[in-house]
Amino acid sequence: MDYFEPKTVSEALAMLEKHGAEAKVIAGGTDVMVDIKYKEEPGCLVNIKKLPGLSAIQENGGSLRIGPLVTIHEIETSALAREKLSVLWEACHQFASLQIRNTATIGGNICRASPSGETLAPLLVLEAKAKIAFSDGEKTEPFASFFQGPGKSSVGSKGLLTGIDVPYPAPSSRGVYLKHAVRGAMDIAMVGVAILVTPDAAKNSLQDVRIGLGAVAPTPMRATKTEAMLRGKSLNAALVKEAAAMAAAESSPISDQRSSAENRRWIVEALTRRGLQQSWQAATGKEVA
Amino acid sequence: MSLTINTTINGKSVSGSAEASTSLLEFLRDTLEFKGTKLCCNTGECGACTIIYNGKPINSCVTMGADANGAQITTIEGLADGDKLHPVQQAFIDTGAVQCGYCTPGYIISVKALLDRTTKPTAEDIEEAVSGNICRCTGYTKIVDAIQLAADRMAGRV
Repeated sequence: MDYFEPKTVSEALAMLEKHGAEAKVIAGGTDVMVDIKYKEEPGCLVNIKKLPGLSAIQENGGSLRIGPLVTIHEIETSALAREKLSVLWEACHQFASLQIRNTATIGGNICRASPSGETLAPLLVLEAKAKIAFSDGEKTEPFASFFQGPGKSSVGSKGLLTGIDVPYPAPSSRGVYLKHAVRGAMDIAMVGVAILVTPDAAKNSLQDVRIGLGAVAPTPMRATKTEAMLRGKSLNAALVKEAAAMAAAESSPISDQRSSAENRRWIVEALTRRGLQQSWQAATGKEVA
Repeated sequence: MSLTINTTINGKSVSGSAEASTSLLEFLRDTLEFKGTKLCCNTGECGACTIIYNGKPINSCVTMGADANGAQITTIEGLADGDKLHPVQQAFIDTGAVQCGYCTPGYIISVKALLDRTTKPTAEDIEEAVSGNICRCTGYTKIVDAIQLAADRMAGRV
């Protein structure tokens, strides 16, 4: 297996252009090293861990720009992320173990494009955007269209994720990330649900609501029908129940070693219900009646 | 493709060669003969291979050996001062927190990293710090007791 440590983004892109699908980009290594041990070695490894300019968390107007090489623990310990992007922060806080969080990068979690990637449902509800560089130019793409299937994303085999722009949600909004797994630490989510609720000025109805689901479809997804059904309405117990059932129906989970599809749907329902109740209460100070 | 790696382990400069596919754990154990760091799950789930890498606890089994280049690494071999054990090691012995001992180096490294960050860890800090380490012999009560004892001794509270 060949090995490269490019010094610049353009050098890395030239290598990916040349080696194409047989090249594997590696940063933290927490997923790629496991593949090398248990699946197969790629033709070559392109180690981007030391590329300059991709490791910062910076406030950029009304958004946070996160470099792809920022580790999950760096987000977890960022006061800005905790204050402004609590849904993403919660997902990072619940991510694997401290050892993994110290190594794993947010760019790796994104480019892995696993349906269960912990940060992905939060990035969807925050309506974040990816900056992707190619040897012939750069593009910005919302995460809403970024994920194309398990392991497949707009980065492809020749692109490089160079930035993640996460706009701050409305100051009056509140959200949660709820994860269901067997072991508190380490386990991959059976289901992850990210919810963001923005009440109207009088705190009587839902001006906006976003529901992100992880590990229950070929890609992380938004429950857009459920969101549309809820928008503009005042939340009550019957509506929460209806929304939770609708989100479960929108999901299309598979059965695997972690859970059956049927069980995953029940969990989507339960977590959506809890998430809506918790977010509404946090945003309005009122319990769902 | 063989790579030359220059690194610092337990304060001493060392060099060795590794393949690109070699994990940091394999580089430590098989090339440099630091056998204290243990191989177990080899997927980053059990914490037996925990080392301190540039000040932070990480799983060496899912880190590239190549990433040791230029890094500062602490392994279990670097904790004792001659014959005098590190307070964390001594506390594990004194509270009976060791049974088969295979997970112990990983635990002790996680705890060393915790007590480098804080001298007065809360119960939550302690659980959090070792939640990426698994012990299959016994319960975790004595391990938590050992961590508390080590923290108290190092801060001069007992």
